[in-house]
Amino acid sequence: MTSTAVPAVGRAVPFFRQSASFAELWPEVLGHLDELFAAGKFSHGPKVAELESALAAWTGARHVVGVNSGTDALVLLLRGGGLEPGDEVIVPAFTFVASATSVALARGRPVFADIDPVTYAIDPLCVAAAITPRTRMVMPVHLFCQMADMARIVELAREHGLIVVEDSAEAIGMRWDGRHAGLLGAGGVLSFFPTKTLGALGDAGAILTDDDDLAARASALRHHGRFGATLNDFTAISNATELSGINSKMDDVQAAVLLAKLGHLDDDIARRAHLAAAYTDRLADAPGILRLPTVVAREAQTNPVFYVYLVEVERRDGLASYLADRGVETETYYPTPLHLQPCFADLGYARGDFPNAERACEHALALPLYPDLELDEVDYVCELVRRFYEVG
Amino acid sequence: MQIPFFPPNLFEDDRDVLCEIVRAIGTGTSARLILGEQTACFEQELRTALGAADVVACSSGTSALTLILTALDVGPGDEVVIPALGCAPLASTVTNLGATPVFADVDRWTMVADPDEVARSITSRTKVLMPAHMFSVMADMPRMRELATAHGVRLLEDSALAQGGVLGGRPAGLWGDAGVYSFVQVKTFGTAGEGGAVITGDAELGRAVRMLRNHGQDGKRRFMHHRIGYNSRFDEVQAAFLRHRLPGLRARLDRRAAIAAHYTERFADLAEQGVLAPPAGGDGRCFYVYTLLAERRDELREHLAAAGVASHIYYPRTLPRQPAFATAGTWPHAEWASQRMLSIPVHPLLSDADVEHVADAVVAHAAAGKAYVVEH
Repeated sequence: MTSTAVPAVGRAVPFFRQSASFAELWPEVLGHLDELFAAGKFSHGPKVAELESALAAWTGARHVVGVNSGTDALVLLLRGGGLEPGDEVIVPAFTFVASATSVALARGRPVFADIDPVTYAIDPLCVAAAITPRTRMVMPVHLFCQMADMARIVELAREHGLIVVEDSAEAIGMRWDGRHAGLLGAGGVLSFFPTKTLGALGDAGAILTDDDDLAARASALRHHGRFGATLNDFTAISNATELSGINSKMDDVQAAVLLAKLGHLDDDIARRAHLAAAYTDRLADAPGILRLPTVVAREAQTNPVFYVYLVEVERRDGLASYLADRGVETETYYPTPLHLQPCFADLGYARGDFPNAERACEHALALPLYPDLELDEVDYVCELVRRFYEVG
Repeated sequence: MQIPFFPPNLFEDDRDVLCEIVRAIGTGTSARLILGEQTACFEQELRTALGAADVVACSSGTSALTLILTALDVGPGDEVVIPALGCAPLASTVTNLGATPVFADVDRWTMVADPDEVARSITSRTKVLMPAHMFSVMADMPRMRELATAHGVRLLEDSALAQGGVLGGRPAGLWGDAGVYSFVQVKTFGTAGEGGAVITGDAELGRAVRMLRNHGQDGKRRFMHHRIGYNSRFDEVQAAFLRHRLPGLRARLDRRAAIAAHYTERFADLAEQGVLAPPAGGDGRCFYVYTLLAERRDELREHLAAAGVASHIYYPRTLPRQPAFATAGTWPHAEWASQRMLSIPVHPLLSDADVEHVADAVVAHAAAGKAYVVEH
């Protein structure tokens, strides 16, 4: 292949696709659905209980609490961890909005800090600078393919008496000296949004924690504040309401899909790593590229998991349109930093406050990455990227 | 004969349909598995059937209440008047926003908020009245509307359990500035999981709720968050399944109503023997749950259990007596009802023989008792 020839893959490259793998998976999904029909409870039921146990075994978490979404998981993690109205929580300025809105929904106050430009995770030095007497918690977010600097964040939190809660929504499979993401502090979350490394067919999420009390509170809060065994029990709707909770029960249909996929998760993660390496190989010397994913070596033993293959490029929006015109879908993670979002206008931040976050928002682009993606599609995407910058 | 409270085989006839929906969506080419085409069609079908300005599908009935209260800017310092008897979300959705629930006592026969008590609960801080339909009886919505208008406050109708009910020609959910439905499986329009909807005649309120259910985004520009929003979305599996179930809803509602009417007829004279049936009639009724008021409730419950009939006590304590919402005061009618209520099976999969068996068991209990009159 020459550098100017565009391989004809003969089809568009969507940002996400699972039709082939789901067809292969279908007999396993159907097996779980058969068991679900036999039990007859379609939310907060037997498959959710089974998924919680299976995820506890897979992650090593003492408790897994299945809920309706990753966002709800964050809210319940914060409330379960003891956040009180008015408490400050330090969150990165570059992340999905739920990292910060969850704080507001739990009636706390998000305080933003800048990110490390390589890992896109919160910079421990910026965390230290953001601590006030009202700071109660710090929420590192593990984005795209690797974890935040948990050693320094945990140390900093210990020094200042802060609680660490991890937004590990994207971080299934990432471990730090053998401990799964979400288990380095008080607790963490998982999101099973369909495009996630472990994705459902709708919204679903979970809380991970080794803390018995946090788990009990989060578990009660997801079911209207009712303590006691509520999973797979209709009559629990009359249990006493001990806490002012929400309804964040997970659908068992989603749990059935996730259970089927969980058995293949290691293979899926390996496939993602293979495809990510292929992107890096093809884009290493491409023009227009400002940064390719760089996995930072830590003193701790860590492992990347490529949920997202994120590049930083010149003329990002131009490239995204160019690719879209040729059938290649991309995502902009994220176009606007949180401190400049209209919903946080009253917090009083301004452009220039967090330069690394702002720079990432200007240049970051996520390329298609999922187990069903084929290598010739990676070739096609990379060749289009080259052409865009070579033609100018 | 064993008669469970909720049908264990609720979706047995729809099993192949649900499995095919899951397979087709999983193997399909659309990447929009949440708030996609099925959800839009489902919302449109409900909107047309109801004549609402907007129907917004979301993650649950509870979440629907939260979305509306948030859209109405309820927050710290605000009061919301709710019934003293009912489900936890009535109070929790208010307290979670930092606002204060004010508990109004109920009518002890119908168990819905007493409009005079609601009127007495209104203060200068009241922002919203939130009456709830209870078991099978719709709240007195014409009076609630009058009160809301007279005091210049908003009216949120907790119609989570009343989908299909009609009062004075107006469907449950459309009496308030907004109302809600719950699609959790046991509800009158239950799905194979969780779900809910906001129903409103106010298009502007509908737009605000749409934004709030998906992280404050406007549906046009992704990752631009105008308001602090929620993740309270609806997925394509449930939307497709409910679209499949919608044509059968009328017949299922009719079956519930017929069972309830038969019960009420059989129980008409039992008040003198300590068992009071809900008021007869069809207007302003929706038979999600059929609830008796029994002087010897525990005995009735045991008698039914011995006859193989499962029953349920929904609210053994009033909302202000729940630890999470503990409030000083007395709500005598709510407390009276919470000590007597017992719900019996009314779901549409009951056979005529099942219904007769349940009714016989209740009547036999009453006949065996001394004269325990229910003074309602």
